[in-house]
Amino acid sequence: MALFYQIPKLNYHKPKNLNEALKLLKELGDAKPIAGGTDLMVDMKIGRVKTRNLIDISDLREIRKIEFHKDSIIIGAAVTLQEIINNERIRREIPILVEAAENLGSWQIRNVATIGGNICNASPAADMAPPLLILNSKLKLSSINGDRVIPLEKFFKGPRQTELMVDELLTEIIVPRESCNAGMKFIKIGRRRAHTLSIVAVAVAVRTMEDKIEYVRIALNSIAPTPIRAYKTEEELIGSRVNEVEGKVKKLIEEIKPISDVRSSAEYRREMAVKITIDALKMSIENWRCKEK
Amino acid sequence: MSETSKLLEKWLKAEEFIIVGKSIDRVDAIDKVTGKAKFMEDYTIPGMLYAKIVMSNEAHAKIRMINLEHALKIPGVVRIITAKDIPGENQAGYALPDQPLLAEGKVRYHGEPIAIIVAENPEAAVIAASELNIEYDPLPTLLDPLESMNRRDILIHEETGSNIAFTTKVRRGDVSKGFQKSDVIVENEYKTQHQEHLYLETEGALAIPEIGGTYTVMSCAQYPHLAQAITARILGLPTNKIRIIQPYIGGGFGGKDDTGPLVAAQAALASHLTGKPVLLIYSREESFRIHCKREQSIIRYKSGATANGILTAIDVKIIMDAGAYANRGPFILWRATMHASGPYYVENAKVDGYCVYTNKVYQGSFRGFGNPDIQFAVESQMDEIAKELGLDPLDVRLKNILKPGMTTMTGQLLDESVGVGKALMMLAEKADWRKKRKMYENEKGRYRKGIGLACGWHGISTSRGVPDWSNAIVKVSKDGGVEVYTGITEIGQGTPTTAHVQIVSEILGIPLEYITIHFGTTDAPDTGATHASRGASIGAIGVLIAAAKVRERLATLASEILQCNPEELKFENGKIYSKNDPEKSLKWKDLVNEAFNRGVELSSTGYFYLPKGKFDHEIGQGYAYPAYSYIINIAEVEVDMETGIVKVTRMWPAIASGRIINPKAVEGQIEGAIAQGIGLALMEKVEFDNKGAIINPNLTDYIVPTAMDMPKVEKPIFVEDLFRYGPFGAKGVGEMALIPTPAAIANAVAHAIGKRIFELPLTPEKVYFKIMEGRICQK
Repeated sequence: MALFYQIPKLNYHKPKNLNEALKLLKELGDAKPIAGGTDLMVDMKIGRVKTRNLIDISDLREIRKIEFHKDSIIIGAAVTLQEIINNERIRREIPILVEAAENLGSWQIRNVATIGGNICNASPAADMAPPLLILNSKLKLSSINGDRVIPLEKFFKGPRQTELMVDELLTEIIVPRESCNAGMKFIKIGRRRAHTLSIVAVAVAVRTMEDKIEYVRIALNSIAPTPIRAYKTEEELIGSRVNEVEGKVKKLIEEIKPISDVRSSAEYRREMAVKITIDALKMSIENWRCKEK
Repeated sequence: MSETSKLLEKWLKAEEFIIVGKSIDRVDAIDKVTGKAKFMEDYTIPGMLYAKIVMSNEAHAKIRMINLEHALKIPGVVRIITAKDIPGENQAGYALPDQPLLAEGKVRYHGEPIAIIVAENPEAAVIAASELNIEYDPLPTLLDPLESMNRRDILIHEETGSNIAFTTKVRRGDVSKGFQKSDVIVENEYKTQHQEHLYLETEGALAIPEIGGTYTVMSCAQYPHLAQAITARILGLPTNKIRIIQPYIGGGFGGKDDTGPLVAAQAALASHLTGKPVLLIYSREESFRIHCKREQSIIRYKSGATANGILTAIDVKIIMDAGAYANRGPFILWRATMHASGPYYVENAKVDGYCVYTNKVYQGSFRGFGNPDIQFAVESQMDEIAKELGLDPLDVRLKNILKPGMTTMTGQLLDESVGVGKALMMLAEKADWRKKRKMYENEKGRYRKGIGLACGWHGISTSRGVPDWSNAIVKVSKDGGVEVYTGITEIGQGTPTTAHVQIVSEILGIPLEYITIHFGTTDAPDTGATHASRGASIGAIGVLIAAAKVRERLATLASEILQCNPEELKFENGKIYSKNDPEKSLKWKDLVNEAFNRGVELSSTGYFYLPKGKFDHEIGQGYAYPAYSYIINIAEVEVDMETGIVKVTRMWPAIASGRIINPKAVEGQIEGAIAQGIGLALMEKVEFDNKGAIINPNLTDYIVPTAMDMPKVEKPIFVEDLFRYGPFGAKGVGEMALIPTPAAIANAVAHAIGKRIFELPLTPEKVYFKIMEGRICQK
């Protein structure tokens, strides 16, 4: 019994397998999938989300798995953040995902919150988005009529708006192996040292050759209506010398649109976006050099 | 000398102790860590109803109409209570009679309680609260205290004719002469912000109708007798019809001292009007919006000093945002005013204080009670004086620090119990202050260390001649078990579960398991509140005296039985024996049994009325407090010059607060206070929109420090500067370590970045832009 707030009566569905879940999603029309519920329950409490049907997907084996294939690593949408942190191979092969997950929420939250939920909630501050964006991740969206695979950067449409159709479920996050071959770094600035929403966060992936940047990916959160890739800055950086990056990153302010809110002013966000991008770039270059050796 | 004074003095002068001064485990520790301890929410009564508060959505408005019709039709709704249903007096003001329990005629802040929904189930109460139709005629709102204090066309309380609720003053010597004598003058404006208590447990109460037209109210107030008095006034009943009991409370910090009694009265009112038990628990958002906050302050501070760093004059103006109701504001302002010199001697002083109404949530008690604000200003000024004169801030403080025999700024002689100077020297040595201070000056890199020092002092007991007393009941059963009844509450600090049991165990010489403390109840005589760091000091005097009286009687009896002098008897480990001839001994239980057989009374009260002096408001001089506790913190920080992020890396505390009854409990209080002080210093701030509504009334947007934000807190230094009226000389510690924490951190940050920020909190953003000031031009 909720003492303090009222959630309208709703039906709770617990499908036995993915197929059943997709069928329900199609049939019910207005259903919301729930996994960890760490965002959804809060949204229901404050009335931002209204639904008559919840479909519990947290225990679906098909989407709570991590697979290591020759060309890709597939992370099921219902994998919790703590499962990512605890996975030795993820820690070895894509440590940037662990870095980002370890900085998200508290241990209690990470035990139930899922990577798919963090993406589908489409918060401008989603912490798993920047690392997945720089990994050129693809998303598998499934419905009873079939699957489609889209790049993550095409997924976000606005704050809490995504490419998902009402009958679609995010089932897999596909990380191409070749994207993992880079120096990477995740940096997040929050208002305190743990359990904090980001003021701004950045993830960077870099490969250099003969002191020149030959490959770079930059993604940030909390500085635009959705997490974004910094395409212009990336373009600016390609081919430049590693000691020139600082000047080139100044371009970043042209492609971000931070707002002022209770966490930070737009001005501070803008300045910090540049600073931590420079920091992350330098560290990524260092990481790449170590990797090459 | 009265019998009670003799007993106090006897135990003050005790030279050896069995259990006082030892770090015993709290008797509630196991229950709390295993989850067995019960809090408000764990209690339910069959057939109880649920209450919910309907809050104002306007900051300043006339209530044109409350239409109950629609909400009453919602299934499950039993009753909707508004001001006109209150059978007694709709008055819950503390310092001034200006605050209704439920808004009447008009509302003065966004979130003010207007109605209570009572329903058979919580869902119905929630729906009815959201659908109750209230129509307002909005009035112009005043949110800025600086504007409000000068406006007479808009009045928050029409009957007062002004928005200034209260003023204070201190006058000593001649400040203009003092400034003339000075070689340096430092003048600055400081700002502090609203802070939320954020107890883990929100406010609540469970009211139960009992036989004989009485009510038992389980409440989470910090002063059961105040909850009783306010509830009785609201219900129009004599206090003897209201019994307050309290479970363990999930944190108070002052917020439940002020709002706890009002919630008790709200639940009791609902119970009285429906004839049923009623449970009322505030949600986190309701708690945020309804209950009092730490006051916002603006402090203009001018100091003069000689080239040697001797203070010659201070001129201080304190403006506090009272919010919609005076509540404790006048007392908070009074405390800030009387502490405006810091623990320093100054010949010429002028202090003016203003407590100003605005249309914001009202201010109230919060650990430190106005003192963290003023010490932030005082201690920043001390560092600025040192900077101007090229002196070590430690030396400027040592030159001015109060010593026994000196007078305070209000002309009060401090004849004893002034351990601050000794504590300051010991702490500076322990922290290796001089070396670190020099070393960090030369930091050049991106991450720069800084070290800062701040002292604080805090008057013990109520101010001036405001009566303060202590009491308790001790009773011994035939089998030797001892029960203590006290109004002091257990709000997480552990007073009844450490200090009180230790005091009884020490005096009666019995093991802890013989003792049960019934705390937080009006079944005990009025003990005063669990506030002002008094639970184990003033609040425990009654426990000491009641137990000591019983001991005297038993000692007389034992001396008859054992044929010896009562003064040679020792009470230890459940035995009474002669120290001259240990063969002469009795078991505690046998002695108690003999007392019952021979007609010796083994129950006692422990009333003690604290002697005090007078303060003359006209001349701004006089007696302020019976004694002061002193605290010093040294903070070490590391600032990221590129982001402005401040990391507090280490804290060294020292405390001069008389006898330390339980060092481990005191360490817990110091660590907790430092955490809360770090919140005030670095991140916490209640934010309001331009209509006076709180925009961060939740745990997503209002942040407090986590374990990861805590520095290494070094073992505190204790200087036991005994206070003649304290139990064994104890003065009180609960609030102390918070008081200088923001100042110590701000001083350390100023040391690290070479510039000072005059406004709390020191968010990364504020620090970053301060660092960047002037830098852009250099490029």
